[in-house]
Amino acid sequence: MSKTIVELCRDHGLPSGESGSASLSRDVLAARVYDLVEAGAPLVLLYATDERAAARGFVVHAAVQAADGLLTLESALPAEDPRYPSITRLVMAAHWFERLMHDQFGVIAEGHPDFRRLMHHENMPAGTHPLRKDFAWNTKLPVADEPSPMHRVEGKGVYEIPVGPIHAGIIEPGHFRFNVRGERILSLEGKLFFTHKGVEKLVEGKMPEEAMRFVERVSGDMVVGHTLAYAQAVERVTGTIPSARAKALRVLWNELERLTAHLFDMGNMPGNGTGFSFMAAQGFRMVEELRRMHAMLVGHRFLRGAIVLGGAHDVSTESQEQILATLAETERDLKEVLNIAFTNDGLMDRFETTGVLSEAAARAYGARGPAARASRVATDLRAELPYAAYATHAPEIVTEKAGDVAARFRVRARECAESLRLIRAVLEELPEGAPAVPLEGGTGSAYGWNEAWRGAVVDWVALDAKGRIERLVITDPSFMNWPLFGEIGPGNIVPDFPLCNKSLSLSYSGTDL
Amino acid sequence: MNLSSLTMLLAESAAVMLAAPLVVGTVHLVKARFQNRRGASIVQPYWALASLLRKEMTVPEHSSWVFRFVPYVVLATTIVLAVVVPSAGIGAWPAAASNIFLVAALATLGSVFLALGGMDTGSTFGNMGANREMTLVALAEPALLIVLATLAFFAGSANLDGIVAFFAAAPWRASMLMALPTLLALLLVVLAENARYPVDNPATHLELTMVHEAMVLEYSGPYLAALEYASALRLTAFGSLFMNIVFPFGIATVGTGVEMLAVGVLSLVLKLGFFALLIGSLESLLVKMRFYRMQEYFTLAFLIAFAGAVLAFAHTF
Repeated sequence: MSKTIVELCRDHGLPSGESGSASLSRDVLAARVYDLVEAGAPLVLLYATDERAAARGFVVHAAVQAADGLLTLESALPAEDPRYPSITRLVMAAHWFERLMHDQFGVIAEGHPDFRRLMHHENMPAGTHPLRKDFAWNTKLPVADEPSPMHRVEGKGVYEIPVGPIHAGIIEPGHFRFNVRGERILSLEGKLFFTHKGVEKLVEGKMPEEAMRFVERVSGDMVVGHTLAYAQAVERVTGTIPSARAKALRVLWNELERLTAHLFDMGNMPGNGTGFSFMAAQGFRMVEELRRMHAMLVGHRFLRGAIVLGGAHDVSTESQEQILATLAETERDLKEVLNIAFTNDGLMDRFETTGVLSEAAARAYGARGPAARASRVATDLRAELPYAAYATHAPEIVTEKAGDVAARFRVRARECAESLRLIRAVLEELPEGAPAVPLEGGTGSAYGWNEAWRGAVVDWVALDAKGRIERLVITDPSFMNWPLFGEIGPGNIVPDFPLCNKSLSLSYSGTDL
Repeated sequence: MNLSSLTMLLAESAAVMLAAPLVVGTVHLVKARFQNRRGASIVQPYWALASLLRKEMTVPEHSSWVFRFVPYVVLATTIVLAVVVPSAGIGAWPAAASNIFLVAALATLGSVFLALGGMDTGSTFGNMGANREMTLVALAEPALLIVLATLAFFAGSANLDGIVAFFAAAPWRASMLMALPTLLALLLVVLAENARYPVDNPATHLELTMVHEAMVLEYSGPYLAALEYASALRLTAFGSLFMNIVFPFGIATVGTGVEMLAVGVLSLVLKLGFFALLIGSLESLLVKMRFYRMQEYFTLAFLIAFAGAVLAFAHTF
């Protein structure tokens, strides 16, 4: 079990334990982060800030998850020499974060085993670091041709398959490079970041309410997932306390989104992954019914507007009855459809032993959500660091052992049942009161987190003296789960890759802010 | 007035060639209905072909004459296949040429050229699809030949016309039970030869899982229309062969009355409709198999075909 922040600080000789943050010299940062991760506090966020205005240069922050909150270790790097010994050498989960920090701020992780570009593609001139404060968001950049190599395997009979970024189906852009021998995958790497929107840069200087519209659009299919984490971060900074009703409503919206998204994936995995069209037809039909209900309840099919700063969208008594009636139908149909799926030998044959993610890999990469839970990693922020009304309505953490596509499918199926239970429990005893309170003013920084349907969203927001956003860090669980392809792909055959891909169900847009 | 060989040839060829897109359209409609969708009209494939014919054709820069040659070869071999396979009737002139080995060779020739077209572009997907297709053809061939040989043995004739005539002479007699394994193996081979479930998914948009679709990925416009039409025609040809053996009713014969031709064409349409229903249902109820399970599928097809052959011999002696 992980320890509390105070215990962790005491055990590892870290200063200022109660505040949840400790300043360290850059030389010991990696070693301390490693100590904490080994002590059972996984690394959840690694980000940089440009604090040259306050004469602190660039600051690297590493957040680990303790039993009672997030503990931050930070290290200020001089602006003229922003280097520090890489954390990735000791903690695998840091590898994409460090590459991203370099692209964004020019902070150099020395000794990183694979320090290629991540967010920037070939066309971005060297030395461009857009999240530095002296980089204007509307700067017109020349088109460069910088090297941006991908992994390559050589040998007899080995060949490369490049796929994307434009695909035959209507999906988001991503480039995948397979090195295969026959049909067997030897190595697999993705090149993403084709959908850059500049969210983190654009929200700087905006009021938290204005930034909400950007956060809602980070990943179109995970609106509540992102807005809830962001809203809680802003509320923590400003000292705004939502009502008990708002907290219960937030559980309702979060679980409705989870149910809808899981239903989609449970239709998509067999439907488009294995060609079992019955599941796609039924799954997407149920999803459509829920989306229509969302539109009726909050005025948006993907639940934009369900979470607001200081509260949540309210539901009337009639609406509650309608939710329960719709969910009763969904539950009945889902049971029937799942029964057909689980008893279909052909389908289970495709699912089982495909795309196995080992528990060790899941932990090393900091995997999140159903992908982690299907590989025995019992991580779920709703239960570990309860927020909203999750302390009252505690979910059971659903885990499976096999780590294959079948396990990820089962985790989703069981989580749907758990979401249905939570929604009914919330509606049964919905507290009276205002659904939203006005946002207080304030300054400072704080984390906000939410176990969204894809996994943990962890945000960090810093507001300046005027209450405007100084820096907003958003992590979609997809950012942590994309590199898992390198682990689960090899050993499988090429025609099974789309199924592995669908079983992880990742967002391109959420990864590329 | 009696049915002449030429009338029969023209009528049945026209029927099969006109009906081919309709078979595909019916399969699509059946699948849509299984998914609770209304689905497109069954004549949609005709419009799709017409619009492809009007479209501009893009030929990959680094492709050779092989790429441009392939659609003609594939279309030509499939048309010959469709003409020689008995559909509405038997006894017409090309029946003399419809030797079982010719049919197997025509089917394979089409596959080989399709694979060449896929490889000629130099694109990874084309090569991947060609690789897979050749693996499947090599696996399917033994089962196909044993099935055809067993049918020939039953009928005492190596001609498809003779085979169909044998079954039509006394449909569903008791000894037909002996032919059941062979017919089942024939169905498995027909599914594989036409890139249907559980071997290939003709409706997929996932490049990495494609076999047939990967080979035609670079084709566009009229070439693509030719290939799409050839694949519909191939399905129809195999469908009429399968149905004429399983349901050998209403088959016209050269030399009988002209009115029999109408009966033959009408029953062909009914048979193809049933065949499309069968394919559509199978594709809605089955899951596509893992590619590495294909050898098991074909081993099964081979064993069933072999069992059918043994039964046929045992029955005779």
